[in-house]
Parts: sequence; C-alpha cells; structure tokens
Amino acid sequence: MMGKYAKKRVAVSTTVAAVGIIVALIIGLIGGYFAGSMAAAPATATVTVTETVGAKTVTSTIQKTITSTIEKTITSTVEKTVTSVKTVPAGPAVSRIVIGVTDKVTDIDPSNAYDFYTWEVLLNTMGGLLRYAPGTTELEPGLAISYTVSPDGMEYTFRLRPNLYFADGTPMTAEDVVRSVKRVMEISGDPAWLVTEYVKDVIAVDDHTVKFILKRPVGFFPALVATAPYFPVHPAYKPKEIDSDQTAGGVGPYRIVKWVRDVELVLEANPYWWEGAPKTRQIVIKFFKDATALRMALEAGEIDIAWRTLRPTDIEDLKGKTGIKVIEVPGPYIRYIVFHMKIPPFDNPLVRKALAAAVNRKAICERIFLGTTAPLYSMVPMGMWSHKDSFLEKYGEHNLELAKKLLKEAGYSETNKLKIELWYTPTHYGDTEVDVATLIKEAWEETGMVEVTLKSAEWTTYLEYVRKGMLGAFLLGWYPDYLDPDDYTNVFVNAPHIGNAYVNSELKKLLEEASIKPTIEERTELYEKAQDIWADDAAIVPLFQGKLSIAVREDVEGVILDPTMLFRYWLIYKTS
Amino acid sequence: MAKIFSETGMASLKTFIIARVLALIPTMLILVTLVFFVMRVLPGDPVIAIVGMRAPAERVIELKKKLGLLDEAGNPVPLPIQYLNYLSRLVRGDFGRSLIWGKRPVLVEIMEHFPATVELAIAGFIVSIILGLVLGSLGGWMGGKTSSAVKTYGAITYALFIPWIGMLFQLFFAVWLGVLPVAGRIDTGLEPPTITGLYLIDSVITGRWDSFMSALRHIMLPAITLGLVISGVFTRVTRTSVEEVMRQDFVVAARARGIPEHKILIHVLKNSFVPILTMMGLQLALLMTGAVLTETTFSWPGMGTFLLERIQYRDYTTVQGTVVFFAIIVSLVNLIVDICYAYIDPRIRY
Repeated sequence: MMGKYAKKRVAVSTTVAAVGIIVALIIGLIGGYFAGSMAAAPATATVTVTETVGAKTVTSTIQKTITSTIEKTITSTVEKTVTSVKTVPAGPAVSRIVIGVTDKVTDIDPSNAYDFYTWEVLLNTMGGLLRYAPGTTELEPGLAISYTVSPDGMEYTFRLRPNLYFADGTPMTAEDVVRSVKRVMEISGDPAWLVTEYVKDVIAVDDHTVKFILKRPVGFFPALVATAPYFPVHPAYKPKEIDSDQTAGGVGPYRIVKWVRDVELVLEANPYWWEGAPKTRQIVIKFFKDATALRMALEAGEIDIAWRTLRPTDIEDLKGKTGIKVIEVPGPYIRYIVFHMKIPPFDNPLVRKALAAAVNRKAICERIFLGTTAPLYSMVPMGMWSHKDSFLEKYGEHNLELAKKLLKEAGYSETNKLKIELWYTPTHYGDTEVDVATLIKEAWEETGMVEVTLKSAEWTTYLEYVRKGMLGAFLLGWYPDYLDPDDYTNVFVNAPHIGNAYVNSELKKLLEEASIKPTIEERTELYEKAQDIWADDAAIVPLFQGKLSIAVREDVEGVILDPTMLFRYWLIYKTS
Repeated sequence: MAKIFSETGMASLKTFIIARVLALIPTMLILVTLVFFVMRVLPGDPVIAIVGMRAPAERVIELKKKLGLLDEAGNPVPLPIQYLNYLSRLVRGDFGRSLIWGKRPVLVEIMEHFPATVELAIAGFIVSIILGLVLGSLGGWMGGKTSSAVKTYGAITYALFIPWIGMLFQLFFAVWLGVLPVAGRIDTGLEPPTITGLYLIDSVITGRWDSFMSALRHIMLPAITLGLVISGVFTRVTRTSVEEVMRQDFVVAARARGIPEHKILIHVLKNSFVPILTMMGLQLALLMTGAVLTETTFSWPGMGTFLLERIQYRDYTTVQGTVVFFAIIVSLVNLIVDICYAYIDPRIRY
C-alpha cells in the first residue's frame, strides 16, 4: 500500500506531467508556426489601380508582397476621378522605409506645432514658400520660385510656382497662402509670434503672387518664411481653431494616410507634388518610448532608420556594428550657463569671467557625450555664418590660471572661497544633465577657490524659477526657431524670459541693427562685434553644441542631415 | 460586511451591489478632490510649461483666462471656485480638455490608450496566474524542499526590475533569435477593425488571422515580462494559502477515508482560493491603471506612460479625468471580485 507522501507525489507528478505535455504541445505549435512563417516565401498579390485624370485613364498593376503565409488573393480596383487636367507623374517603385523615433508629434497643425519633430512631419507633408537646400543653411525656392524686396525692406513679394496642388488634387493658389498665414495670426498658437511679431498684413496680388507687408524691416524674413507657421494648409483645416489631428496636409512630398497618436504615422507619396515623385513610396514612422528599444529595433531590422534620439553610448556602439552605418553632422542645438546679473555674487563681472574661464568644455564633450557634442565658444553655433570663437579668444579653454587671477581680484582665495549654487533640470535635456552639472562643478572647484552646491528641479518647476529670476547660475539649452544668428543672440538680451536680467543697451542696439541689414556681409560684421561684447559680459556662457546623429541600415541611402534638424524623407531610398 | 448581512438575514446580493455602487460616489469625490488640490499646490506653472519660456506675458494671461485660472479682469480665480466649476462639469460627464497639444477631450484621449492597457493587463495577468497558481500550489502541496524552492522563486521574481528583464527578453528573442518583435502592438497595416479595441479579440471576431498572429507576437514579450514579475506575488500567496488549508482537519479526514489525492487537491485549491482571489482582484485593478515600466520598455501605448507624461506636463484636467476614470475601473473590478467570492465560497452569503 502506498504511503501518504508517495500518493501525494504520484498525484502531483501526474498533474505536472499532464500540464507539461500540454505546455510542450502549445510551445511546439507556436514554434512550428514561427518557423514556418520565417521559412515560407512571402505570398504575392496583385493590386490593380485605375486612375481617371480628366479624359485619361491610367491603369497600373502593382505586385504587392504580403507577409502572411496564409494564401490570400487580393484584388481591388481603385477608381479615382479628378476634375482638373494635370499630369500624374510616374510613381516611385513600391517600397517602404520605416523610421523609428522617441519623439512625438504634438499638433499636425502649423498654427500650434512648436517642436522640432512635428515641424519635420510638417516639412514632409507640407512645404513653405522657401526652404533650405539639403545639407546646407542656404535658402532656395520652395513653393515660390522667386521673391523681391521693396527698397525700404517693408514688403516681400513672392511669386508662386504654377500648377501647385494639395495632396487630394485641390489647386493651391496665393489665396491659400493668405488664408493659412492669417489663420495662424488669428488662432495665436504657440509659434504664432513668428508671424505676428513681424507681419502686418499678407495679401494675394493675383493667383500666383503673395505680398507680405511687415511691421518693420527684417533682414532674416526669408528664414522666417521657411518655418512651419508660414506653410499653406489645405482648406479642410478648421479656420479659427487648432486642428491637432487634421491629416489633409499641404503641398508636400507626402500625404498622411494613417495617424495613430504615439504609435505610428504612415505617409504615402503625394502624386501631385510639384517636384515629382519622392524616391520612396511609403514612409512609416514608429514612435518608441525608450531609446534602448529604438536601438534594438534597428539591430533586429524592424526599422530601417533610428533617428531622434539615440543615447551617446548607443551611437558609439552602433558605429561598430555590421550592417548599420551612423551619420553625424554638426547640429544647431546649443547648451549654455546663465548667470543672473543682479544676484550676488554673479552681479560681479570678475566672478562671471572667472567661471567662464574655468569651464572645461572638452571634458564634458568627451567624457559625457563621447564626442557626440563639440565645445562651443560663442552663442552663434559653428557652421553658421558670422560664428566667432569669442570666448576662446578671450578666456581660453579651462584656463585655471586666468580664473584664479580674476577670483583673487574679486576678493576670493583658498581660505575665502566663492560659494555658489549651480542649478540644473535632471531630465528635460536628457539623463546626462546631472553629469554635465557635475563636471562644471569639478572644473570650478579645481581652482581651489570655489565651492559649488548642485541643485535641481523638475522641468516645469525649473522653468518657473527661471522666469521668476530666482536662480543665480543655471543651465539651459536652445534650439533655434529659425536659422539665423539673430535667433541665437537678440532673443537673449534684454529678455525677461531668460530670467537673468541681462541688459546691455549697446549690445541690443548692435543686434537690432544687424537684424535689419539687408546683406549677410553687413550683418556678419555686426554679429562679430556683438559676440565680442557678449564674451566680455559673460552673462551667458556657451558650453557645447550638439551633433545630429542618425543610425541607418546599410542599404539606406539619401540620408542628408543639416542644422535645420529636419530630415527630408523624400530623398531617402533603399538600394535593396 | 458579508458577516453582518448573513447574520441579520438582510440584504441580497443585489442590495449589496447597489450599496457598493453608491459607495463609489464618496470614494471618487475624495480622490478627485485630493488630485485637484495636490496638482495645484505643486510648484511649477503649467501654463509656462505649455507656452514655453519665450511666450509674452499677454499670451500667458490669455491662456490662463481660457483655462479658468484667471477671470476676465485678469484676477486669479479662487481655488474653491475652480474646484466647484470642475465638479459641475464632471457630473455632466465632461472630463474636460487637455491643456496641451490641441486641447483634445480627456475622455477621447483616455479611450485611445485604455484598450492597449486592458489587453496587456489581461495577458500579463494570465501569465502571472498560470505561473503563480501552479508553482504556489506545488509548493504548498509538496512542502519541504519544493516549498523552499518556490519561496525563493517568488522572492526573486518579485525583485526583478522590469526594464532589465524586458530588455534581456528583447535582446534574446528579438535581436538575436529574431522570432518576436522588439516593441509595439501590431505590425503596420494589420490592425483589425475596431470593435473592442483589443486587437486579439477584434481580430478573432473579424476573422483576421494575420492580425491575430501579429498581435499575439507583439504581446508575448511584454505579457511574459509583466506576468513573470507579478507571479512572485501570486506564488507566495498561493503557497501560503495552500499550506494553511492543508493543515485543516478535512484534509486529514479525506485521506483517512481513502479519497484519491488528486480529488483532495481540488478541494484544497478551492478552499485556499479566497485570499488568492483577493490578491487577483487587487493586482488586476492595479494593472488596469497601466504598467508604466513595461509600457516604456516595449513602447506599449497604454495608460501608464500616458498618465506619467501628463503629470510631467502638469496637464491638470487630463490627470484629474484619468484619476476619476481609474477610480471607476478599480471600484468595478473590486465589485466583481466581491461577487465572485460568493460563488467560490458557499460560506459567504449576502
């Protein structure tokens, strides 16, 4: 007869064995399915597309690959009739590129979108009168083929290209430009100031001519026109309110065919785009919540491109991976230290200059960012016309001798140390921020005459402290609204929102004058003087400039990055 | 509460349910009030966070007026008045509009994310139940070294850091083996027609087997990750409960009467199920509010990351509306659990 425990063991063993068999069967079935789906050749289906354009009917047959192993015949006929006679250009080869990002799209509406990633989507689904030539910061014709400026600089007249159409075939004229710009002014969303600050009125002279009448002469107005708030939008956009999820688009290389917020955005080639068919028919943007998952998705081949934003360690690691290439270019993003001109001891110029001299930018760029940033010695970034290394010329790099000399003059010593707080925000600029603050503290304390206490606050709170002028020394960053030295300089002087009471009438006058000069040469001379004054004041000390990095599968070509930070999807394609 | 009802012979199950539903109201009122005032006393001006540092003062004031923070004259609206205004909208079913990014209705935004959370919660829950119940029962039944091993398993899995274990799974199954996807909910273009919002169910209902397999492949890693970590809790509770029931007289009596062990096991499990059911209810309710770490690791578009983001942006109305929504969901889940008690344990009557 079996004992109690033996009976127990038999009962349990039987049960466990039964469960184990069932689990093994399930795993076997699932594994078999996956093995089969990996091995089977993809089935193909035929899709017939018929488009009627005026009196012309175009029928094309596209071989479409589906990934399911279940045999399925797909036959569909799409009929599309448009009323105006126009040329339907030959479409690109059926292909898809998948881009992964950790960014998000906020409002697909130029009247309120005010972040780089949404502007990138708008650039690829709409277009401006002017645009930047790929890989450069030079403006070239966009929807407008030319423009003229009145002698007093108060009127800009743009001549539109003929035969412009929105993505659904609706013709686009100068009236649409007027409607769109006035819409931005009326809605008064976040980026509206880019229009309302400068534009008094906009009128359609005729169907193909638009005139902007400015409030004052502005030398960088063409750069403004290239920004999203000036993009013409489809009439479907609500005229008086923000239309966050509107997918009607504008006159761009792609149209939105699917938009699931924070999940994916699917773009397809716009058949009516004035520049002809983009190189890739379909662009899928997948939104990731984590940079590690983004990186792994690239390695696994689930995405073709990992764009914003990979971590510096991941970028360095991916450089050595087979089948993946990393492209880097200087970016327009800058970081800097701000000193409050009215809070002691930062109201003492000797203290500010000493701290400016002691900063170790190279250590920050190499130890924290592994070379994905570059030391910056001016608020005007490298690569932009008029850039001058004014801080390097005046203070050198990590110049402890100069720093000590200036601190002594200010009355500090090893026994009477300068005690200060340095503020930072821990996540808004990435999780490396605490390291940046730590290295700055280290550099300052290397003088032996400074004692630094690091303080932090979460972004919303930090912003409030900054705006209220409560912080003596703090870290901030800057992405430009438009690519012009004005946006890196003028906005910081006599500017309450920066929270440091930096007032310099001479500098402000110089910058105002530079903003209205008509030629780059005249403006450059003034900006160079301004940068020298800036370094002398040391109210805002530039630290480093970001690089743009993108990792792509090796069969992806046409990737061009530039300081606009806007990735042009219409140029990319796959070679296999 | 159950004991009082059975002793007095008063309420039926129906009465109990009605009483529980009515009790939701003060619960939610307390929650809404807490969230409302806590959000507003936290440092940080949400309007500045929305409009940015460069916005002129006029724009800040204009937005504050639109949000009801300032009256037409530009004077601050007292907090109690803001609170009453909010409550009056809430009782009309108006959860308000988000303060950021197009000011979309809060309820719309919640319903865009909630189905994903439900799907992941149920899948993770199933994994945790299977692992937890089987191992916990095994440990409790066998005792000795088996019980110790199960105890250790429970401790280890509960201490696992989800992003770490999730990343390992992604690396192994997605990057190295290439058999499962790294992240996301379904492949592009394979979303089934929306009926419930749960891709697995909707694809079965509509017969979209390609969608079903894609959704299944995508949910496996996050569900296993989440389920593995939670199974530690169930393992411990189940093991303890089974061990306790095993010590009861009826087990000894059943054995003495020669009842087969597997039948005794069934009765032991039934009797040990009440505390397990309590834990299941708590865990499921918690999962319905989103699993932030899992969602972040696997880019799962659920409520956890959604709420976290809105808290960071001080999006008052969305946070408030979401808390109210969670309160309803958690209360409903607890109610269902309480009803289930009666079916599990005949000794509990209302």
